[in-house]
Amino acid sequence: MVKAVIGILVQCDPSIKAIIMSIDAADNQFVVEELDDQTLVIKESQLSELKRRLDEQLKDTQQPPEDSGSD
Amino acid sequence: MASAVSNLASFEYLEKLPGITFRKLYLEPSTALAIFRRMLPHLAKAFVMALLYMDKPFLLTDLDQWVQSNAKRQRDEALSTLSRLHIVTISAPSRQEPQVVSLTDAFRVSLRLALTGGGNHQSFGVPSSDAKSAGIELEFLDEYGRTQWEGILHYVVSTGRSGAQPTAAVQQLLEAGNLVSRGRRSTEITQAGFSFLLQEVNAQVWTLLLLWLHHAKELGMDHVEILSFFFMLGSLELGKAYSIKTLKPTQKSMLENLVDFGLVYIPPSVKDQFFPTRLATTLTSDASALRSITAGFESALSTGSGTAGFIIIETNYRLYAYTDSPLQIAVLALFTKLTTRYPNMVTGRVTRESVYRAVSSGISSDQIITYLSTHAHPELLKASAAKGGGPVLPPTVVDQIRLWQIENERMKTTYGFLFKDFESTDEYKKLLKYADEIGVLTWASKTEEKFFVSKVEQLKDYMKSLKAK
Repeated sequence: MVKAVIGILVQCDPSIKAIIMSIDAADNQFVVEELDDQTLVIKESQLSELKRRLDEQLKDTQQPPEDSGSD
Repeated sequence: MASAVSNLASFEYLEKLPGITFRKLYLEPSTALAIFRRMLPHLAKAFVMALLYMDKPFLLTDLDQWVQSNAKRQRDEALSTLSRLHIVTISAPSRQEPQVVSLTDAFRVSLRLALTGGGNHQSFGVPSSDAKSAGIELEFLDEYGRTQWEGILHYVVSTGRSGAQPTAAVQQLLEAGNLVSRGRRSTEITQAGFSFLLQEVNAQVWTLLLLWLHHAKELGMDHVEILSFFFMLGSLELGKAYSIKTLKPTQKSMLENLVDFGLVYIPPSVKDQFFPTRLATTLTSDASALRSITAGFESALSTGSGTAGFIIIETNYRLYAYTDSPLQIAVLALFTKLTTRYPNMVTGRVTRESVYRAVSSGISSDQIITYLSTHAHPELLKASAAKGGGPVLPPTVVDQIRLWQIENERMKTTYGFLFKDFESTDEYKKLLKYADEIGVLTWASKTEEKFFVSKVEQLKDYMKSLKAK
């Protein structure tokens, strides 16, 4: 029997996906299904929370945007 | 692109309405005509026109013969739009009877009336023969609509600061729609408010009207009457006086708010007449007409503040804006790092940081680019014309703004449904093909036999029809 699962399809870089999986590993409250290394389905209600957690994680690794040149 | 936004907003709202609401809406010829000209793709219009004077249901297989075989996707999309808007009914597929298509009765009757006239429906408004207010000129109406609308926009941008404030009803509406939020001391603009500001005027009007529609339900107003009134406004003629007496009670009570928005004008001396402004009469124009009319409106908008274009942006991301309008400066500040303000101009730079900030508050790079190019200074236009009509903005700047957004967008998200566990590869292939044809497919994996769609209703019907065979 065909199943239809409601959710949000997330398409991103493999690196971002790895981070999402590591966030999810703690309590499994985000990911519904992994599809391939750039695609996964997450729970409908958790998008904003996931975005927030992702930003938090990336803050440590990413260089802050710098403003080159003078005015 | 901007008109697509407005299309989407009103369109998606309409699609969610139940069939019964549509039947009531289509009782008004003006609504049928407005939906027909504003919401339908051309192929769907062709179908409707062909079916309009056909008294018997039409075989779906015959309809297919009008469409070239390589345009099957467009045909499916047209039909699905039509049935979502309850304009056509397609009989359920079964083994005994072939599928037939026909226009819904209310829509057929109303569209016939709208196109060929007749009937006593007063759906297109009743022009007032009273000549008491003959002195109202187009320029005055444009000016009036502009001032009212700019007042609202200005309130959204610089909420809390002093200046001309829109009426309390409008303020409440903006707040209810989450375009501004009231803090302890002052009101502040929200993310939704930011993207509202960067929309084209017509899209803004629709956004506000739909907000109001949601709000009106709480006030116990019938939303069918409200919607038909919107569509009626879109069919009125600019510069003509219309009679208030023939309106329904709900519609009369709406007029007050429409005056606040600047969509209609009621002369103080003649209380039983109203004039639609350009904001109202362009509500349901179709996309191409819309562009020229909004262009006309924008040039009308700009008469107050000098020339149409005022922004110069250089290849080094420096931006000079010749304006002293607080509204325009506030909009620019949404995505520019402004540094200096002179009496007649402001300067600043578009930086990675400022674009980041804009993107994170819900503004897309395309919105920024559209804004910059529609408000480009005549000198930029002249320069691009001299090069044989190239792009108005420096290509490096445009590319960089897009890149900055992509850099900041870590994932692309789509709401919808994942289909999996098919009974057979054959079933998977059939459903996949259908989903692709009706334009809802977002992702598919052949090896795992799964796919993701953004809408599910039609697929369900299709699965039923497969079972019936």
